[in-house]
Amino acid sequence: MKIPAMRLEALKEIGNIGTGNAATSLSALLQTRVNMEVPKVWLVPVENLEKALGELDAIRVVLYLKVEGDAPGKAVFVFSLSSAQAIVQTLLRTPEPPDLFANELAQSALQEVGNILVSSFIVALSQFSGVNLQPSVPALGIDMIGAMIDSILLEEGKIDENVLIIDTTLTGLEGVQGSFLYFPEGGALDKLLGVFGI
Amino acid sequence: MSNTIVVGMADYKVGKAPDKLMTAGLGSCIGICVYDTLAGAAGMAHIMLPSSNGNLQGNLAKYADTCLEMMLEDLYKLGLRKTRLKAKMAGGAQMFSFKGKVPQLKIGERNAEAVERELKKHGIPLLAADVGGTFGRTINFDIKSGELHIRTINHGEKVI
Repeated sequence: MKIPAMRLEALKEIGNIGTGNAATSLSALLQTRVNMEVPKVWLVPVENLEKALGELDAIRVVLYLKVEGDAPGKAVFVFSLSSAQAIVQTLLRTPEPPDLFANELAQSALQEVGNILVSSFIVALSQFSGVNLQPSVPALGIDMIGAMIDSILLEEGKIDENVLIIDTTLTGLEGVQGSFLYFPEGGALDKLLGVFGI
Repeated sequence: MSNTIVVGMADYKVGKAPDKLMTAGLGSCIGICVYDTLAGAAGMAHIMLPSSNGNLQGNLAKYADTCLEMMLEDLYKLGLRKTRLKAKMAGGAQMFSFKGKVPQLKIGERNAEAVERELKKHGIPLLAADVGGTFGRTINFDIKSGELHIRTINHGEKVI
């Protein structure tokens, strides 16, 4: 399976608009300028997911939201442990990095970040395409990245041979490295792009 | 010298002692080890879903039923005898839950049931399993000893 070049460009553009809006919200929340790079659009065979995710058992902090509506998909923010700690520290203005495994306040602060990021991404997408989309409440996970992504992808008990990923890197905040992954569901792509006649 | 053979997602590999087989980051996926310590050979699979449902297209190593069949073929080619094979498995977690949502498919649990069922169908005894929970696992199988080493982030390590 290949994605035609025009669709790929359109997907990048959609990703751009969404992540641009999300970066603005995150900048406002943290009162620091956060940039998001131009998204990469990947079509990855399931058995090569490792190439897109890195070491499958590396520990990562994940915020996962389901996007429901006319063009459903899954939104996942991935941060390193220290990046997630830095975000919470900036947000809560605590002197010490929080223990993300035990500190419930830190956990809900992170979920709120996920909420804001994904909502702004979705709002931009929705406004741009006119397609109705609503994000779910975020779920927080701190574990092996491969384990979390496989559960997210397999939740409905099926998986395509290839997984479409819109992958954006977050930059600008000191000590923070993160990425935003968006997995549109099979038919959702036609819905989203069909609006533009592509 | 012993090497570690890495098994990717939706993949399986076979090997001989003193090598080890490993697969990383199992969530709702399952790592299946089928082995014969006397012959010093084993196979490891990283399956993602319970059943191919008769759909024989694409990568068949991602389903419990078709993957086990392919791996057993390869093990027989290595000269292993069906009657001496044993199995162990780990994985099948439920990593996320959403409050107030309709019950989910619990794909990890269904994967574990499917692996048990398929092993039974082939008459291979399942000697040990570490499945379920809400956490990821990385597993390492020692072909020589038949020990399966399981590592987690925040839930300790164990050998089954």
